[in-house]
Amino acid sequence: MTSAQLTDERIDAYMGRLDDALQKLRPSDREDILREIHAHIVESTAGASDRDAALDRVLRLLGTPEELASRYKAESLLTRASRSFSPWLILRTCWQWAKLGLKGTLAFFIAVFGYGFAAGATASIFLKPFLGSRIGWWSGPEGVGIIIPAHPERMHEWLGNYFVPVLAAAAFFFAVGTTQLLRWMMRKRQPGLVPVRETPAPWAR
Amino acid sequence: MNSNGDRGQNWEAQLRKGCLEMAILASLWHTRLYGLEILRCLSEKSDLDVAEGTLYPILSRLKSEGLLESEWVEAEAGHPRKYYWLTGAGRARAKDMATAWNEFAGKLAVLVQPVAGGTQR
Repeated sequence: MTSAQLTDERIDAYMGRLDDALQKLRPSDREDILREIHAHIVESTAGASDRDAALDRVLRLLGTPEELASRYKAESLLTRASRSFSPWLILRTCWQWAKLGLKGTLAFFIAVFGYGFAAGATASIFLKPFLGSRIGWWSGPEGVGIIIPAHPERMHEWLGNYFVPVLAAAAFFFAVGTTQLLRWMMRKRQPGLVPVRETPAPWAR
Repeated sequence: MNSNGDRGQNWEAQLRKGCLEMAILASLWHTRLYGLEILRCLSEKSDLDVAEGTLYPILSRLKSEGLLESEWVEAEAGHPRKYYWLTGAGRARAKDMATAWNEFAGKLAVLVQPVAGGTQR
């Protein structure tokens, strides 16, 4: 096998992995991305005296197919989610964003906590008619919060008849607050960078 | 590498991140360009070395936000090229960003001028 064939095979392998990693995108978007990345690789390596070395460089600058796909998916989801009020879409986006860095990870934890609390509060409102005196905002030896204590007689329930309205308000404000905070974080985000420099910045030497 | 070096690199990376979107939009102000040309333009005109893995997802997002439009063109060299250009909304965003940048950079330049010039107290 010639060197040119080996290089072409490496390009095909990269594109195959990228195709696999982009499966969750719309087919038209996926095809467009694949075509653009392929064209970029081919043009960047065409005419190079050492095509294999040129390919090494361009693949390094693109990142692994999985990393590149993650960036595309995150950018696509972040754009949609920053305009959306769907907690499910925002949560999914934060999960994808978390794979790209610290800020995304923070956003994911905020989403899990905020939506988790809102979901828990909502569930407790629906359970209240069935579990009556056992579900409430308790404090005592078994803990503090919305719990179903094993021994209610040893615990103190704080909200009484206000349980449902207070929890409904809390669920609403947590859901809306989490959504607005995450939408703001998504709009204010800055793109992640694939490192370019092989040498440190002048002041870092 | 010392911690000052780490912080310096981190600061530089943050600065580049913040400018990237504006730089991409600015590179398309006068003409339509394809990905490789945008990379060269950023590198040659602003010393902003952007990796391909950074640029293409951002171009895709700017397009989905309605700031860019694109078209595939069969080039003479045989490689198809996806050309990008600014939409009306993209031009407006680029102008807003450039105005904000000029105001900020102008004021900051006054502040850092003694530092850069090495003026002693």
